[in-house]
Amino acid sequence: MNRLILFFLILYCWSSTSQQKNNLYGSFFSNGVYYGESEDKDFNEDLRTNNYLKLDYLIGEKWNFDLQIESYAIDGRLQNFSENLNGTFISTFSANYKINNLKFSVGSIYDQFGSGLIFRTWEDRQLGINNSIWGIRTTYSTEKFNFTGLAGKQKKGKINSDGAVYGFDAELMLFENLDNYKSLNLGLSYVGRSEPEIEYSFNNLTSAISARVDYNSESFYINYEHVSKSKDGIVQVGSVNENFIKNGKADLVNFGLFKSGFGLDINLRRMENMSFFSDRNEFGGDYLEATLNYLPALTKQHDYLLTNINVYVAQPNVSFQDPELMKSGEIGYQVDLYYNFKKGSPLGGKYGTKLSFNSALWYNLGGNYDYNNQNYNTSFLDFDEKYFSEQSIELSKKFNNKYNATLLYVNRYYNKRFVEEKSGEVNSQIIVLDNTLKLGKKKSLKFDIQHLSNDDDQKNWFGYGIEYNLNYNISVYHSNIINYGNVNEDKPSYYSTGISYSKNSTRLSTSFGKERGGYNCYGGICKYIPEFKGISFSISTTF
Amino acid sequence: MFNTKAVFSFLFLLVLNFNLSQDSVPNTTIEDFNKKSISTDLVLEDGKYYVLSFWATWCIPCINELDAIADVYKEWTDNGIEVIAISTDDSRTKKRVRPMVNGKNWNFKILLDENHDFKRALNIDGIPHTIVTKGKQIISRRVGYSPGEEVDLLDSIIEYQSNNE
Repeated sequence: MNRLILFFLILYCWSSTSQQKNNLYGSFFSNGVYYGESEDKDFNEDLRTNNYLKLDYLIGEKWNFDLQIESYAIDGRLQNFSENLNGTFISTFSANYKINNLKFSVGSIYDQFGSGLIFRTWEDRQLGINNSIWGIRTTYSTEKFNFTGLAGKQKKGKINSDGAVYGFDAELMLFENLDNYKSLNLGLSYVGRSEPEIEYSFNNLTSAISARVDYNSESFYINYEHVSKSKDGIVQVGSVNENFIKNGKADLVNFGLFKSGFGLDINLRRMENMSFFSDRNEFGGDYLEATLNYLPALTKQHDYLLTNINVYVAQPNVSFQDPELMKSGEIGYQVDLYYNFKKGSPLGGKYGTKLSFNSALWYNLGGNYDYNNQNYNTSFLDFDEKYFSEQSIELSKKFNNKYNATLLYVNRYYNKRFVEEKSGEVNSQIIVLDNTLKLGKKKSLKFDIQHLSNDDDQKNWFGYGIEYNLNYNISVYHSNIINYGNVNEDKPSYYSTGISYSKNSTRLSTSFGKERGGYNCYGGICKYIPEFKGISFSISTTF
Repeated sequence: MFNTKAVFSFLFLLVLNFNLSQDSVPNTTIEDFNKKSISTDLVLEDGKYYVLSFWATWCIPCINELDAIADVYKEWTDNGIEVIAISTDDSRTKKRVRPMVNGKNWNFKILLDENHDFKRALNIDGIPHTIVTKGKQIISRRVGYSPGEEVDLLDSIIEYQSNNE
């Protein structure tokens, strides 16, 4: 601690005498809830806030420092955040020095190798993820070649993981032709993780390697990534099973075609035993702590309330729940199509019409599963139980200068038993009509209606949302979703009424409502939130 | 973990000693569609006006804003303003960026900030977040988007241009 204060004092004295341009700036973000009632009784009648103050300090062109202070104040953290987050503390700090093509960093490090299949550290305040590495990093970067090497321990709330992490990433642009936009890139990454304080009967060091190739042209692209993870003990019921040792692998192919007014993208991915934590026992934790890699669901990311019921969560893990429920990963695809019906065409009308289509299909890996001996062998292109499928089509049309509308239809199958390891399968169809009406120079009204038809699970839902923008700064809204088909409860509804104010880079908002419990997903990563009723507020600003 | 009082005291001293505002775009690296690393210093030419729009393929207000600008983009370029749409899509949705941009016929320059290095350096919490710059100098920032706000944004830049040139 004293060393840190000394460091700050030296920095202060140095910057005070420096002739170079110094700049201090930052941001503040606060998210709070007064829990009137919560499914989690520990939170009843609590006022809880998560607060983040981030400061950046630049000295000339070469040095920069950043610091983030977090405070989980009044009655403590929000209810879907880790118990490792409490009190007020310095959460992240880094010092960076840049000279020519070299950059050196000490402290909290955010980085990503390839698509993140073997390494990604990032922050997501909505989900409570900050898995930065507390360590050192060197980066050598030119237009056509990048190299990063890093080592350290991973942040878990206020503390660091016991496991040591180190790795490198290299990316090389083999050629680029600016006349026809052709380029070819290669990438290679390595990440090693060991827990030096724990002895295992197998090799403590787990190594993951990613190799990539990426081709782009004027109207076509294709990239392929292969990942291999060395043998590691499978974690079951919170502890490492030293008799169940398997390696992991992943293959990701992505290609697409595009031209003016048209775009097509196809993703194919197979993952087997790919979860990777800096502390092995964090596997299956509720708060997504100590995750080394990023394995999001490759499905359409939805925005409407009813389309976010029963969303798919990627299935990278080995899980042997019972002889009828054994899984080792996932295999499947996702297709996206975008098309613009031109202005003046029969479907385009005066202003054009925009179409987007998405289809996704995901299965468990096929192979031989042996529950009694806790073992499995998979085949590369073999499909087992279906986890999830979805087809969605969205049409957006501007009718005149005042009115535009979006129509969305989603057809979804969700295997709750295999994805959440609970009972049930869900077939649902969702339809959304979203309208925007300009009412004057600064006023506008947005209103949507939504319906979810569902023969299983919680049956049918109806929902709506209204948002009125008084001007460019103030907006009021109300939304409500009603599970009118529910046979167990009397038409439960979840509602929210709120107001927000934005000015420059500051935004204040508050709302009152009852939140639906379930998975809360951002960027394809989901966390469970208990149902609650209360008042929420948030403040964000930069300075 | 740390002596918080001492740290806060130091920060207070620091704030007293310095100009407290982010008045220029920090230099970091960002990627284009060909995976080429580009220094943000090289993207923003001195004296030229830019609108940096931070967006993502899953963000409906962001897409509404960029659709609205795309419809009248010629008026923006005629006034010497270039829009750079900075995608914050991570590896889950990054693949959708190029098909969507083409499907929607947007004619802006698109750059990719996949692990949010640029977004973090500009202290952006939520999107849409729009930053108006003259070269690297930050003129104004806005969070959120209301229908029609793009007209106000253009008017405010033209007013700034007439007052400062």
